[in-house]
Amino acid sequence: MTVREYLSPRSLPEALSLMERYGPDLLVMAGGTVAMPLINDGISLPERVMGLRHAGLDGIAQRGDVLGIGAATTLTQLLAQDAVPLLREAARNTASWSIRNMGTVGGNLFTPPPGGDVAVALLALDARVRLAGPRGERTLPLADFFTGFMTNALAEDELLVEIQVPTTVRETAFIKFGRKHANTPAVVTVAIAVERRDGRIGTARIALGAAGPHPIRVADAEAAIVGSALESDAIQRAADAAMRECRPFTDAIATEWYRRRMVGVFVKRALERVVA
Amino acid sequence: MASTIVTFELAGREVEVMVKPMTTLQAVLRYQLGFTSVKEGCRQGGCGSCTVLVDGEPMMSCLLPVEDVAGRRVTTLETITPDEGVHPIQQAFIDHTAFQCGYCTPGMIMISKALLDHDPHPTREAIVDALAGNLCRCTGYEPIVAAVEGAAQATAGKGAPR
Amino acid sequence: MSPALNVVGRSVARSDGIGHVTGRTQYTTDHVFPGMLHLKIVRSPAHHARIRHIDLSEAERVPGFVRALTYRDVPHNVYTILGLIGVEPEEEFVLAEDRLRYKGEPIVAIVAESEEAALDAVARVKLDLEELPAVFDVEEALKPGAPIVTHWGNNTFMYEGHPCRRVRFGDVEEAFARADHIVEGVYDTKPIEHAAIETTACIAVPEANGRYTVYTNSQAVYFSLDNTAIILQIPGNRLHFVGGTVGGGFGGKVDVIVEPLATLAAIKTNRPVKYAYSRSEEMQVSSTRSAWRIYVKDGVTRDGHIIARKVTSYADSGAYSRQTPYALTKHAANAAGPYAIPNVSIDAYCVYTNRVPSSAMRGFGITMASFAIEVQMDKIAELVGLDPWSIRFINAYRDGDVKPHRKVVEDATLIETMQAAAALVGHDLPAEFRTMTSAPRHAGEE
Repeated sequence: MTVREYLSPRSLPEALSLMERYGPDLLVMAGGTVAMPLINDGISLPERVMGLRHAGLDGIAQRGDVLGIGAATTLTQLLAQDAVPLLREAARNTASWSIRNMGTVGGNLFTPPPGGDVAVALLALDARVRLAGPRGERTLPLADFFTGFMTNALAEDELLVEIQVPTTVRETAFIKFGRKHANTPAVVTVAIAVERRDGRIGTARIALGAAGPHPIRVADAEAAIVGSALESDAIQRAADAAMRECRPFTDAIATEWYRRRMVGVFVKRALERVVA
Repeated sequence: MASTIVTFELAGREVEVMVKPMTTLQAVLRYQLGFTSVKEGCRQGGCGSCTVLVDGEPMMSCLLPVEDVAGRRVTTLETITPDEGVHPIQQAFIDHTAFQCGYCTPGMIMISKALLDHDPHPTREAIVDALAGNLCRCTGYEPIVAAVEGAAQATAGKGAPR
Repeated sequence: MSPALNVVGRSVARSDGIGHVTGRTQYTTDHVFPGMLHLKIVRSPAHHARIRHIDLSEAERVPGFVRALTYRDVPHNVYTILGLIGVEPEEEFVLAEDRLRYKGEPIVAIVAESEEAALDAVARVKLDLEELPAVFDVEEALKPGAPIVTHWGNNTFMYEGHPCRRVRFGDVEEAFARADHIVEGVYDTKPIEHAAIETTACIAVPEANGRYTVYTNSQAVYFSLDNTAIILQIPGNRLHFVGGTVGGGFGGKVDVIVEPLATLAAIKTNRPVKYAYSRSEEMQVSSTRSAWRIYVKDGVTRDGHIIARKVTSYADSGAYSRQTPYALTKHAANAAGPYAIPNVSIDAYCVYTNRVPSSAMRGFGITMASFAIEVQMDKIAELVGLDPWSIRFINAYRDGDVKPHRKVVEDATLIETMQAAAALVGHDLPAEFRTMTSAPRHAGEE
């Protein structure tokens, strides 16, 4: 079945009512950088598609210590903000200029690994996601949003509308390691955010991309640096733990074997970057 | 569902096309309007050969339902080519022999146009970064970067003409 | 410079430059014809399988479906691209009959009013297959009991009755026995996709005079025309191929894959038919450079002269040989490298496996030999205590030397090229190499 209808809602309520009317078979698309290639190749054959480009879901707003990022905000818009440097780094290392003009922050959360680099940074920042549905809205931690490979906590009638990011986290690092310098799928992506108390690490969040079925945190690696002052042996312990904990895969970009070793290398380098 | 009519701006005039739902801008430009400078290297957003500008911003026309550009201004290689002679970026590509098979060339020139419109004096690093989404398999990247540098010099202070 | 030369030494603008920078150059799929149909292929999901049944009923009901083509519609369904130059046997199926030999092998061609309808119908063809054991490694494929890929019961291409292309020069075993060192190596290379930015494509257009104009981006227009005429069993003069504008080829567009089916569909429907690979098809089912495994054994004197080289090579042809037998012949002629080696033995096997067919790609057969040989040269240099430059100057071939396949070397330039390279990188060569030339050796000179 070729696409019979392309719906282009002009507001969130309109989008939600279309979802209610057409049910779970309605394909929701934002920037189109994930869905369109599959449609073009006949791999995905949706009957109805809803595009969010004009639904008013883009834009970035600071509210107190929280940056609210509309789900349909483009990666180019994300690159233009300076409230959260880690997100700039993540956006800069994602795809290419033309794709950043199309791909969205919300869409990045639905991009299967090894894509989804911005999602890795958001996970390290302990972002929350705001979901809207016919019964109202709810927010939940991004860590609880991912449930498996290309599965998530969204109910069938819910839409991701906003990503909320604390702007208070200052010590961060982001490294994407790919086969090329730019516009490349990740071998591994590492995003780190730490907060210190009296010079020692109080909380640590180490997030990895292309190292599991979705962006993941590595709890043992985080525990290895909590209480430390990021001495080199603590960093090494964290890198070793991350290598043990990660769940990488083999694809055309890299093998599971190689990715696991690169997790060790780049968790170490990212932590050293935090120190520097 | 029946076809719909979409209107957008192209080459300084309003064009109206009748399309089946979710026809890509690429397909409309190539197969309805004859703007075949818009190439079809992958239809995956992966090669950049279909790069066009929408309201001056580079996008992959293969990933863009034409409905989404209703009311917008679309710029292609045809629309920046003067009636006589060539655009300074085109001249720079000729001067630096920045092509072999030529299939990536339209996309390369369009992304270069977008870059020089945004940043008339780009560093080499900025050029390389801007070209990152446009693939050349004959591997003429060095002459392409040199061509963009040459075009920037040729248009210095004046900005690239439309 | 001679005043008679008006191009050499000057920069000349390319004649296609204006077309390329303005986008006016017309590539194959830039042509559009009224009433043009679109052809898409049902492909094998299995590496090796027997076809039990194909159900087209649901596909036929897709709005816009025009017709399906199976092997029964192809007048001469089994062919060999190099059959034009006498290579046998005919082995590749235009459309699969009872067996599938690689993942992606074409089974049914669907012709529809739009590309979307064609893709939709393709997705609705039901295949009932019996999967068979598959083989993906050249040496595994040659073991007794390996799954047999070809339809004549043998996993090697036969060269005049031999399972490999052979070169015999001097006596390698005698030379190994008196060598000071034996240096051995095994070298593996992987398949490479050419990945031209323009995918393989053609459009076949019926003309009023009963001929068919075929717009194609083939790198080998007459190869394509002649093979199409054979496959369709029509005189060549009914085919007019328009080519020459190729959006990148690198050897990836010398196979004859899209033209016969598009032309057949144009004959059957009397309408223009476009058959263009998607990027996925280009990456997954178009020919690649072959995977190779190359064993090299060299006998070397303590002063660095190579006195014997034995090479056993296996090129993974995939399920069909296409241009790979020719690659092996080129390989056998070059596997000793640009070096003067008095005793050489080469066995080069073209092996069938259940991988995607491989074919031509820039320097095919020789690029991989060079990789193996030059790594081998560095190993030898290290072993005998010479630097990488010296080992190559010492062994370099010169005009008048006889190569292992009995070709007398003419216009050798290895020595002069290395001298120029050394100058460019600022490497000081010893006087003996600085003054060496490729001129024929004096009597008795090594």
